[in-house]
Amino acid sequence: MQKTKLPAVLATFVVCYAFWILLTWTFTVQELAAGAIVSLAIALFSARFFVHEKAGWLANPVRFLACLGYWIGTFMKELISANLNMARICFGGCRDINPGIVKIPTDMQSDYGIAAVANSITLTPGTITMETTEEDGQNYLYVHWIDVKETDPEKAGEAIKGSLERGVRRFWK
Amino acid sequence: MALRIVCDIFFAIGLVFAFAGTKGILKMPDTFSRMQAQTCIATLGVLGVVIGGVLYAAIGMHSAGTAIKIAVIGLLILVTNPIGSHVLARGAYRGGIRPEKKMETDDLGRDFDD
Repeated sequence: MQKTKLPAVLATFVVCYAFWILLTWTFTVQELAAGAIVSLAIALFSARFFVHEKAGWLANPVRFLACLGYWIGTFMKELISANLNMARICFGGCRDINPGIVKIPTDMQSDYGIAAVANSITLTPGTITMETTEEDGQNYLYVHWIDVKETDPEKAGEAIKGSLERGVRRFWK
Repeated sequence: MALRIVCDIFFAIGLVFAFAGTKGILKMPDTFSRMQAQTCIATLGVLGVVIGGVLYAAIGMHSAGTAIKIAVIGLLILVTNPIGSHVLARGAYRGGIRPEKKMETDDLGRDFDD
């Protein structure tokens, strides 16, 4: 079991308190104080489950802007094109599909980086991450792909997550 | 009036993708492909409706609280959906579910054959 560290508690507290303010959206002293107490209690108990690496990593403005730009720009572009593709398959009678599971290498090393890439892949219609493994220091993802165009791991990886991974690499290792 | 038209366009975009996803869920041949189709509903289907709702609540109703609650709902769906579908797909595969038609490649079956 990991020990509870102060930066981790602070990061969890900030996220919990931000959610409290967004959900209540009333700025009386009572509400704000109650929210602070509840958030602090939750952060003390659960910080060690949430934060496993450096807690202040995204507090750097350059990284934070890169993160925002990735979710609003790069990811949205991929999401919309994949959605149009999926809608075309569905309205076309779901016949011209060619499903399969491919194993692709990923350059990400940290848990957060792998999670961000894997969840981006899963959130894009047409690909679902099913498993991650590590072999000799290289991380691999097993991805279910509805329309397999490449079976070579490198080329399939470029087709599935090329631009997503380049976007994530700007703020997570 | 103009606002209403813009909101309705966003709702319509969301509903088109939700309809596509529903059709995919009903018509796809195997479990994993059906799971792929539902992602359409959870991404652009939800996003279209959420953007329309936020615009309507913020400009039409002048209620910032409602607009933010709608945006948080959309954010939570986007954050939780990939985890759910990843675990469902993995559980289905480990539980022994395989498509009737042979898959193009099956690296997971090749590496973890038991």
